[in-house]
Amino acid sequence: MKSYSNQRRLSLIFRYILLTLLAVLWILPIIWIVLASFSYNDTGFVSTFWPDKFTLQNYIGIFNNSQYPFGYWIRNTLVISILSMIISTFLTISVAYVLSRLRFAFRKPFLQIALVLGMFPGFMSMIALYYILKGLNMLNLGGLLLVYVGGAGLGFYVAKGFFDTIPRSIDEAAEIDGATKWQVFVHIGLPLSKPMIVYTALTSFIAPWTDFIFSGIILSTSGDAKTYTVAYGLYNMVHTTKGNATAYFAQFVAGCVIIAIPITILFVFMQKFYVNGITAGADKG
Amino acid sequence: MVEVDLNHIYKKYEGNDKYSVNDFDLHIKPKEFIVFVGPSGCGKSTTLRMIAGLEDISKGTLEIDGKVMNDVAPKDRNIAMVFQNYALYPHMTIYDNMAFGLKLRHYKKEDIDKRVKNAAKILGLEDYLDKKPGALSGGQRQRVALGRAIVRDAPIFLMDEPLSNLDAKLRVSMRAEIAKLHQRLGTTSIYVTHDQTEAMTLADRVVVMSVGHVQQIGTPLEVYNEPVNQFVAGFIGSPQMNFFNVHYKDGRMSDGKGLNLEVPEGKAKMLEEQGYNDKDLVFGIRPEDIHSEEAFMETWPNDVVTSKVVVSELLGATIQLYQEVDGTEFVAIINSRDFHQPGDVVKMGFDINKGHFFDKDTTLRIHN
Repeated sequence: MKSYSNQRRLSLIFRYILLTLLAVLWILPIIWIVLASFSYNDTGFVSTFWPDKFTLQNYIGIFNNSQYPFGYWIRNTLVISILSMIISTFLTISVAYVLSRLRFAFRKPFLQIALVLGMFPGFMSMIALYYILKGLNMLNLGGLLLVYVGGAGLGFYVAKGFFDTIPRSIDEAAEIDGATKWQVFVHIGLPLSKPMIVYTALTSFIAPWTDFIFSGIILSTSGDAKTYTVAYGLYNMVHTTKGNATAYFAQFVAGCVIIAIPITILFVFMQKFYVNGITAGADKG
Repeated sequence: MVEVDLNHIYKKYEGNDKYSVNDFDLHIKPKEFIVFVGPSGCGKSTTLRMIAGLEDISKGTLEIDGKVMNDVAPKDRNIAMVFQNYALYPHMTIYDNMAFGLKLRHYKKEDIDKRVKNAAKILGLEDYLDKKPGALSGGQRQRVALGRAIVRDAPIFLMDEPLSNLDAKLRVSMRAEIAKLHQRLGTTSIYVTHDQTEAMTLADRVVVMSVGHVQQIGTPLEVYNEPVNQFVAGFIGSPQMNFFNVHYKDGRMSDGKGLNLEVPEGKAKMLEEQGYNDKDLVFGIRPEDIHSEEAFMETWPNDVVTSKVVVSELLGATIQLYQEVDGTEFVAIINSRDFHQPGDVVKMGFDINKGHFFDKDTTLRIHN
């Protein structure tokens, strides 16, 4: 007869095998990219998993590439991403807070409309956006920023769900203590929603940092490689012509590794704010 | 100290056809301790929240110190409120929790410090001032909530079931704290509870409510001894009053089952004068007015019932005997010297003079 502890051990073993498999599947491409970025080659595509010869040449090369100004791309993307992160986070958190806490006419219909609008993929609007920005003469980084932050408010659903979990009586207590709605938001709402702010900030940084579709559409017209963002620039590197594509492949891979660095740092740095149970002690229990 | 005037206040929530609070009319004197009591959903919390400004008033006017407050924001009503679930600010220390309201009102730093430290001393929270609410027990949190209210020296104190999340023992000691606090500060207080013991022990006047209507307003003794109707009689007192559907005729009442008792002359005269002879009535008697002493039964031999004990609950000094006589059930509180086991057959004397008669249709108490 199988004992309970044996059964448990067996099920644990299965779980670990499954998780290990998944972990390997996830991490393998990343390792491959990193290895390829250090691999010496002059023939184009890297076809071996383990490099024959290690080199830093790809990293040096990509910063000195005269045709593809990688340094500019990083700077452009960083500026856009940080600005987008700040503005989008403010917009998203404000909209979410208002929809969670205040009651006003058309609140319900608005929530429904926002939900339906959110079901359409963002890039559906790209042609319209292209012509609007063209009309405004904004087919540049400024226009791109506008695209990223313009719809930020609509992404309030997750944050609103979070605000909904903060007991309303805390707000009411603050109001009776003499706070205006704005003071309640600043002194109570914001400090309590640190995890949410971090989450929103991370997502609104990463979206422009890795976005390819909009940056491609909006920045391609200028034809000036110095105004590109990283994603669009790197794409150009391997795409323009067949011959170049293979020649720059190793540098392209090095570029991919470099853009992963800020995101990783951001995650590690902000993870400590990413805590649960911040409202512990407000309520009973 | 201020007075609060609730003039025929009504509340209807959007989407409801019925009013949640009907014609609430009460004048609260300075320094008075008023308790709203009633079962869940009777509108007591809603009324309190209307006074606080957290709910709009649908009809009627609320005056604080003679000024109409219907359209004044909560922050400008100068009230303090304690919530059922404490509603502390979890990211702030206990000190900051109490100081928050003062900071918003731009009190001087030294003044804030003095007030917070003083409140902490009164409530025994001095050792916890730099802790966060999460590190405190339920009773301590509730004391912080009280402290947050008293530092402001607000002339009106609102409390919404402040003790209902505490365990029984803590509830009793916090109840005493609140009573002491009121004696000390003399703040006009309005307290909401569903616990009639809290209502009886704390209140200067009790407002008994049921399904959105005020049933009775009076001192604890008044609502206990002279309930206006069957609801108040049943709600105040624990275990609740025994009710019997009886038929009264010529000095005797019977419920057609095991109960057939003589009604003493005074009560009988009153009933007959008001035309209740040969009529169906509701007779109510509190458990403590049913006696097991021989002396009582010898005095009123015609009001003695022979019954069977169903459940016997020993509480220490007293014992609650749930009994049955031919299908009629009742409970008596007697001295625990007269201990009985379930199944015992006992004799019980009813003190009809202490009992109440209620009109069967209107449920109003019949009295002179």
